[in-house]
Amino acid sequence: MSRNIIAVIFTPLFLLLVIYPLVALLFRLESNGIARTLVDPFFWDSVKNTIVAAAFAAAMGLLLAIGFGYLHLFQKNTFIYKIANLMNDLPIALPHTVAGLALLLAFGRNAFGFVGNTGLAFTIIAVILAMFFVSYPLAARTLASGVEKIEKEVIDVARTLGDTPTKAYLRIALPNLGEALFSGFVLAFSRSLSEFAAVIMFGGNVPGKTQVLASYVFTKVEEGELEMAVTASAFCVVLSLLTVSILGLRRLRYAKN
Amino acid sequence: MLKIDKLCKQYNNQPVLNQVSLDMGPKISVIIGLNGSGKSTLLKVVAGIVEPDSGTVYIDRQDITALDPEERKIGYVPQHPALFNHLTALENMRYCLKNGRGSEKILDRYVEMLGLKDILTKKPRTLSGGFKSRVSLVRSLASQPKVMLLDEPLSDIDVAVKEKLLPEFKKVLKDMGIPTLYVTHDPWEASLLGDNFYAMVKGKITEINSADDAFDIIKASYNIKSSVS
Ligand SMILES: Nc1ncnc2c1ncn2[C@@H]1O[C@H](COP(=O)(O)OP(=O)(O)OP(=O)(O)O)[C@@H](O)[C@H]1O
Ligand SMILES: [Mg+2]
Repeated sequence: MSRNIIAVIFTPLFLLLVIYPLVALLFRLESNGIARTLVDPFFWDSVKNTIVAAAFAAAMGLLLAIGFGYLHLFQKNTFIYKIANLMNDLPIALPHTVAGLALLLAFGRNAFGFVGNTGLAFTIIAVILAMFFVSYPLAARTLASGVEKIEKEVIDVARTLGDTPTKAYLRIALPNLGEALFSGFVLAFSRSLSEFAAVIMFGGNVPGKTQVLASYVFTKVEEGELEMAVTASAFCVVLSLLTVSILGLRRLRYAKN
Repeated sequence: MLKIDKLCKQYNNQPVLNQVSLDMGPKISVIIGLNGSGKSTLLKVVAGIVEPDSGTVYIDRQDITALDPEERKIGYVPQHPALFNHLTALENMRYCLKNGRGSEKILDRYVEMLGLKDILTKKPRTLSGGFKSRVSLVRSLASQPKVMLLDEPLSDIDVAVKEKLLPEFKKVLKDMGIPTLYVTHDPWEASLLGDNFYAMVKGKITEINSADDAFDIIKASYNIKSSVS
């Protein structure tokens, strides 16, 4: 008994604090709420907005992360690398309302008035940028730890065979970063799916336009449509479980190889 | 020709290279040294991978100390074969051709000499240690370097296989006929391969007459009495 004391404490706490809330949510599902949600065009718009914006944000995040991986490999002593490295931890501590407000001020009416009377704010582009801001660091860190695993001598040899750092990175490092690229994308995508605060501050919550699943749930609760909020939430749970299990399956496959 | 003049390098205020000078013609020079004596650091400085604190490296009288590795025309075979795992053996050996350097003729010649014809389409992970090190060697030679650096290229190989590989390596390196710096901690390996020999102790280098003399120098520097062994 005392040998298992940690497991004995862990299991009930885990069940109570993590699993029970999700089960409680799923038990509130009822057919009327499901039916009304599934015929609500704004629900389907928010599903589409969430998935499309998260995919764009993750793709952008991955591109920038590939750049960060390069700095991590070749330019660790530069100022820009040190700043970028520090910034990768920032979104953990920074309230995402603050991130959203920063984006609003940077790309909103004042600075970007020329693209429309609210700047980029309250457009789907704003949703993508907000998701990018909070999810890019995950992709960057994943790429950096992938780069870390590459044998340094492999890059050194490529250099002596005539590769510039850029060529060595693109032709030797990247082809060996498959797992990091994949996990980086999926992690950034999952993080983007879940973003609420930054999205609502900068992209707003315009049904059919910039509303995402997270803000749809919020709106339905506010409107007192609890059954519809529960349906949309259950949909979110399924969607996020699917994405994270892709990650798990892929890891299993790599572990086997 | 390779000339190294008073190279110094410190890590954490510890000298790892201490005024290392060498002057080498188209021969196989072997440096024998214990773990941590600075052998790999020396080769990395010559290859341009590590920057020295002071000192100069010349190839054919040209000062190359400030050049990047890709500008030096130096072949480097590291301690572990460090093959490009996503490419086949042949693609590994042809890699330099993508950068517009090297020669297919040299490549074909050494593929032939080292009996690599049957493994050309294989991926590195499926090759034995002996074949990995052969591929790693040819990959560098194919780039027609002016100088070859080999950092214990056979350290992962069983002695029995090594005995077979060393004469092959020697034949090919002799055939290439460029200054070759070969690093090992094993006097036996050194004697099978080298034309001339150096002992490296705590970042200092001394020319010696035969590989066996390395023991004496190393023992003396660590104050080990010869009678003890
Ligand atoms: N990048 C580095 N940072 C700090 N110390 C280093 C670094 N590279 C090497 N050293 C130190 O320098 C010394 C010489 O290392 P080096 O790798 O050149 O030795 P070596 O003769 O090749 O040894 P081995 O036979 O183990 O390969 C060692 O004490 C090592 O710990
Ligand atoms: Mg070494």
